[in-house]
Amino acid sequence: MALIELRSVSKAYRKGRAEVRALDGIDLSVSERGMVAIVGPSGSGKSSLLHLVGAMDRPSAGEVAVAGQALGALPEKALAGFRLKTIGFVFQGFNLIPNLSALENVMLPLEFAGLAPNERRRRAEALLARIGLAARASHRPAELSGGEQQRTAIARALANDPPLVLADEPTGNLDSKTGEMIYELLGDVARERTVLVVTHAEALARRAQTIVHIQDGRLAGKG
Amino acid sequence: MVALGFRNAARSAPRLVAVTLLVGAGFFLMLVMHTIGRAVEAHTQALQRSVDATLQVRAAGSMGHVNMVAQSDILPPGALDKVRAIPHVEKVETYLLAMTPTEGHNFAMVVGFNPGDTKRLESHGEAGTGKIIAGRDLTGADRGKRVAVIGQGFARWAGIHPDRLPAELTLDLTRTHPVIFALERPAAKLSIVGVYASGYVFGDMQLFIPLDTFREIYGVPQGLSWLYVKADSAASVPSVERAIRAALGDQADTIAPTSVAEFQTTTTRSVLRLTAAGMALSALLLAVIVYFVMLLVVRQRVREIGTLKAIGAPNGSIAAAFLAEAFAYGLAGSALGLLLYFGFGAHLAKQAFALAVGPFIPAQYKDTQLDVLRVSAGLDAAQLALIVAVVALVSLAGSAHGLLHIVRLSPLQAMRQE
Repeated sequence: MALIELRSVSKAYRKGRAEVRALDGIDLSVSERGMVAIVGPSGSGKSSLLHLVGAMDRPSAGEVAVAGQALGALPEKALAGFRLKTIGFVFQGFNLIPNLSALENVMLPLEFAGLAPNERRRRAEALLARIGLAARASHRPAELSGGEQQRTAIARALANDPPLVLADEPTGNLDSKTGEMIYELLGDVARERTVLVVTHAEALARRAQTIVHIQDGRLAGKG
Repeated sequence: MVALGFRNAARSAPRLVAVTLLVGAGFFLMLVMHTIGRAVEAHTQALQRSVDATLQVRAAGSMGHVNMVAQSDILPPGALDKVRAIPHVEKVETYLLAMTPTEGHNFAMVVGFNPGDTKRLESHGEAGTGKIIAGRDLTGADRGKRVAVIGQGFARWAGIHPDRLPAELTLDLTRTHPVIFALERPAAKLSIVGVYASGYVFGDMQLFIPLDTFREIYGVPQGLSWLYVKADSAASVPSVERAIRAALGDQADTIAPTSVAEFQTTTTRSVLRLTAAGMALSALLLAVIVYFVMLLVVRQRVREIGTLKAIGAPNGSIAAAFLAEAFAYGLAGSALGLLLYFGFGAHLAKQAFALAVGPFIPAQYKDTQLDVLRVSAGLDAAQLALIVAVVALVSLAGSAHGLLHIVRLSPLQAMRQE
């Protein structure tokens, strides 16, 4: 069964008086589990696709369904709940809350999900242990290396055990060695859920089971 | 998220210090205004308790002394009942007065009153009371009897020694003086049972006898010289005065402590309005400070807000964090304001009060009331609760725009500012 279904999805933005078509009639189906890499030149519409799948934006036309949920029909409040339970985000710039420790950052989505403080802590500690950051749990982002910050962000993305993780250039701010570590981690994550990753990094794309090529807002190939 | 909001307040030390100083100053001003308002209320209450809310009524154009040249008109029968029927009249004391010549002091006063009532001293317009220093005071049992208490000055003139009471005094009603005319009435022998002192030379030249005894001696079967009308409060004085004038018309003159009433109705109200306006302005200032700070904070953290929304934070949780941050700024500022208030608030409030109220206080109260004015910087539990409520309200009001911005912001908009 497909986890992600896009049917004739288009997205247009207004830039001054001009209309920019970021996506143009995308049809895409992504199955459960495994890594899918979305590749393409800058400005091709990769991130726009990611935002639509992640319920951060709405399509101008077409339908987006994730985990059996048609996103177009959901109001804003329900979209927040959808993102909380179904999506885990990993950003290029890590986007950790600077005055919270690594552990507290991972606990945040669990707090939004309404878990009791003890349970939050237990699950966040387990996630940090899994990614090898147990000893750095009390450190704030500024005290962590770039790789450690991105691993913390991945742990945060996994906090509510979502079926889908969306990663937007997750190694874009990291050196190649650290990036390799993140590829491995995402590959590991993709064994039990779907990881949709937007990347320019060929090494990361090669690890994906599926590569989706986007060109000028259109699906240029899938394989 | 509320805990995160409180922690966020400490993210920038310079901002926390600046906001604390600004909010603290505004809060300090608000507390000072509150203290002034409270002091004015207490001051007014003290005035109401301590100031004589008593009006004097006497025959129009007359002192009402039954044997005084050109001043012998007295209040007509029926005046007493009319005055007693006026609302807010708590008590009416009745007096009949005459004069008797003395050497050295010219003359003394003979006052007929109801034993038990105030022994008012008619001397140069001062109305006070005497204190018995020898013998006893008059009581209800003395009504109709030829007994009297005498001022120590009058007693000395009459050769009455306080240690030898009771003593006898004869009133000769035929004796005259440039301002006293003779009454063809028999002399009256009185038994002096007590001597009083007033601490005032003319006040000590009076003789108090029961009212009905006075009527019999001076041949005044009805009518009264003076009525002392006590209103139930200083606030009622103006209405009682109006009612007396309406009831007695041209027959009587009314002397009322209107300055007290004027003070109460004009100054107190004005100062209370001023302090209320000052408090409202201070609260507005605080809200404006919080508004700009929170606007800045929200704009600086747009990316963070977007991240929180992306990872599933409901708007309510994000708003709660920012509201908590605003509340934390308010609390820090109010803590500083309280410190300043306990340090300098009472002094500043007293100075401000004196400046604001001083010009309106009647001269006779200025020295005493301002000196004894109690302006304290104390706060009770209810006032502290009110402060917390004000801080919460100001935080909410000041953050409202920022919170609205947060709610309207889509996660993508926020992320694009990355």
